[in-house]
Amino acid sequence: MSTDNRQTNTAPSGGFSLLGWTEQLSETQFAYLLLVPTFLVLGIIAFWPLLRTFQISLHKDALIGAKAFGSFVALQNYQQLLTGTGSVAAMLSRPFLPDVTLSGSFPFVDVKNVFTSAFSVTLIFAVVSVAFETVIGFGQALVLDQNFRGRRWVRVAIIVPWAVPVVIQGMIFYLLFQPNIGFVVGPLHQWGLLSSTPLSNSQDSLFIVIVADIWKTSAFMALLILAGLQSIDRGLYEVAEVAGASPWQRFRQITLPLVLPTVMVAMLFRSIQAMRVFGIINTVSSCSTVPSLTCLTYTAWSQRLYGSSATVAFMTAAIIALLVGFYIFKYREEAV
Amino acid sequence: MWQTKMANNQPDSTVSSPVSRRTFVKAVGGTGAAAGLAGCTGGGGNGNNQSGKTTEKSTTTSSMSTTTSSSSSGGKTTISWAANPQMSDNADKVKEALYNAGLSKDIEIKLISGAWETGKRQQKYQLWLSQQKATPDLLLMDSGWTIPFIARNQLMNLSDALSGDVVKGIQNDYFGSSLSSAQDHDGNVFGVPFFPALPTMQYRKDLVKKAGYDPEGEDWATKGISWKKFSEVTAKTKKQAGTKYGFTFQAKAYEGLSCCDFNEWMSSFGGAYFGGLDNLFGPIGDRPITVDEKPVLDAIKMVRTFINGQSDPHSLDGYTGNIAPESVLQWSEETSRKPFTNGDAVMHRNWPYSIKINGKDKNFGTDLGVMPVPWGVKASDAKYKGTGGVVASLGGWNNTVNPSTEHKEAALEVLKTTMTDSFILDMFELIGYLPPKPKLFNSDKAKSAPVMGRYMDTLKVAGENAVPRPVTVAWPSESTKISQDVNAALGGQMSPSDAMSKLKQQLNAIEQSA
Repeated sequence: MSTDNRQTNTAPSGGFSLLGWTEQLSETQFAYLLLVPTFLVLGIIAFWPLLRTFQISLHKDALIGAKAFGSFVALQNYQQLLTGTGSVAAMLSRPFLPDVTLSGSFPFVDVKNVFTSAFSVTLIFAVVSVAFETVIGFGQALVLDQNFRGRRWVRVAIIVPWAVPVVIQGMIFYLLFQPNIGFVVGPLHQWGLLSSTPLSNSQDSLFIVIVADIWKTSAFMALLILAGLQSIDRGLYEVAEVAGASPWQRFRQITLPLVLPTVMVAMLFRSIQAMRVFGIINTVSSCSTVPSLTCLTYTAWSQRLYGSSATVAFMTAAIIALLVGFYIFKYREEAV
Repeated sequence: MWQTKMANNQPDSTVSSPVSRRTFVKAVGGTGAAAGLAGCTGGGGNGNNQSGKTTEKSTTTSSMSTTTSSSSSGGKTTISWAANPQMSDNADKVKEALYNAGLSKDIEIKLISGAWETGKRQQKYQLWLSQQKATPDLLLMDSGWTIPFIARNQLMNLSDALSGDVVKGIQNDYFGSSLSSAQDHDGNVFGVPFFPALPTMQYRKDLVKKAGYDPEGEDWATKGISWKKFSEVTAKTKKQAGTKYGFTFQAKAYEGLSCCDFNEWMSSFGGAYFGGLDNLFGPIGDRPITVDEKPVLDAIKMVRTFINGQSDPHSLDGYTGNIAPESVLQWSEETSRKPFTNGDAVMHRNWPYSIKINGKDKNFGTDLGVMPVPWGVKASDAKYKGTGGVVASLGGWNNTVNPSTEHKEAALEVLKTTMTDSFILDMFELIGYLPPKPKLFNSDKAKSAPVMGRYMDTLKVAGENAVPRPVTVAWPSESTKISQDVNAALGGQMSPSDAMSKLKQQLNAIEQSA
């Protein structure tokens, strides 16, 4: 075999010269070489659509004529989207950003349309749902990590919501919050928590959508965190117990630091999903009542406003990229 | 770690790593090339197979065009017709009706089932027509979005393609408002109305009579009643019969509110979106926006009174309240129909499909009364021409021709056959599609149809008083804002005047942008 090698090296021709060349590469270079096909595939299925979306977002919407989009307007669509002026802002079903005005008196900032602007609605949804799902999921994972009688049934009970398809989940919550059908609207309305027709009210609907998402997705967090918990060396707890550590100290000093990287990864996945929320909104309420970023992209697209739709889509991708960047930064900090 | 493993596996070889690289790259390259070739061959073969057969489900253009060309070579031409699911479910009967109406047996019909949801259908058509595909040859389009396709030059101009007599026939014989949803500014015809959808007010005749009213004597069926009387009748009957609700309708923030329910209330009070009905279809940006005028505000106040009673700070004087549940703000067609069908309501506004359900013997049979949607002001007192009096917002579908069709003559032949009285009446009997020609409402065949036949006079009045929605290329965006603001005004989140001023601003911004 080594003789073959030498021959190839001395007589570089055709495909064999390439093979010879691979032998000269360092371990890192070779690893990257092997990754090239993956990058190519990723490029085709991920980066090309992203670039194409960006390219379309630099064009005006075409309402008349057979063309899909109009003339090149550079970044004007972005400027109109962010300032809430011009044709992009006028044609979109809901504004992208809430109205923020500064005032001289407390609280100095007056924010309007928080529950009807795509960015604020999506952000509220993502932050609140991910926070609750993490805490609840963590709690569920801690329970599942214990050995007790009937643990198998508890596991099933916790995982069941995760197995429910989004349309059925949507239907459950839709019916639950239909006055005269669902039993929860009456009492919640009497306690002043919801209006009498919550699914036609943006604020109430957002609350309902968040609750629906927490109900379903906490199980996902629980499963990921459970995997992290189970990879912790049990010996550490025994040592801590012998050393007289209280349960809280054991959690604080062992469980939390060791499971934190897993929790961060789980939160990252959930946050990306939450920033793209669409299905649960569409099934429980409507994109008009709870306008998430994806909803805005979708409604603009179905109204054939391709330029505007691409602009919102690219902004959504950029926001998610920022979010991912933030998590990766924090993750590296944790790791260091 | 990887290196360690490699070294452990081949402890004797000093140049183990480079050699395995060679082998690896060779192997992967070879396998990749082989898989690629196999994929290409397999894909090609598969493609050939697919185009050779015509599956029922397949709606891809490639398979359809193959069907067309192969059929043409055999002396027959196949015309594919993108139609409603109810039609493809009854495909054999629809085809039989076409041949009975005189269609040449040399033309074969392939019905393609569209999505139930109108928006999805629109997107699919958008895709086909943007790509200038030759099939489907005929497309059934919602009257709510035919005009945007006309504006994008995506439909065949039938005024050019059909003979003058046929075009004149369309202009004279069809409901004018239906036809206006398929014409351009110059009056060119791009679609032929296939069936109109006309909403009416359904009511429990038995309960209303018991409450002391005489719908037959007063001829509610064709003359209708005023909203004021309607509110009294509903309140009294509801109280007497002890039903859970009085009046159920649709006021969710969706297209149905802007195109239809709200359009009816507003028009019945003499109001309009863009001034007179002449401005319904444009010119965009150069027409008055009149949503903040008194008739429109009165209409909103009336519905708020229906929901909240006179205690509402924005109620309308003289109208009886508390006849509609707050839930209407979340209801669309089916959610509002079910309580009525279950016997929980006195009055219900909906499309003809629900008459067919409610009028069945197992439901209300002849106890179901149907009348036109009530009036707010008389037509003679209305501010804008064409408004006031009893109204019906116009829904329905039009048949259009794909300009890229390879079988123009055959497609037009099929289109002309769909316009025959015989085919129209067969469709009415088979599926319940209302005739698009007013004169057919009086035909014996229509009047003898089960259930629907009893209500033809009312439906004819609705057709004659139909108000189309103002469909232009800007309508999808405008409709969204209208339904959001009207729903918020009805739900008390904004006062009627604030909501309508906001709406006026938003509509103005859209009109200026489009």
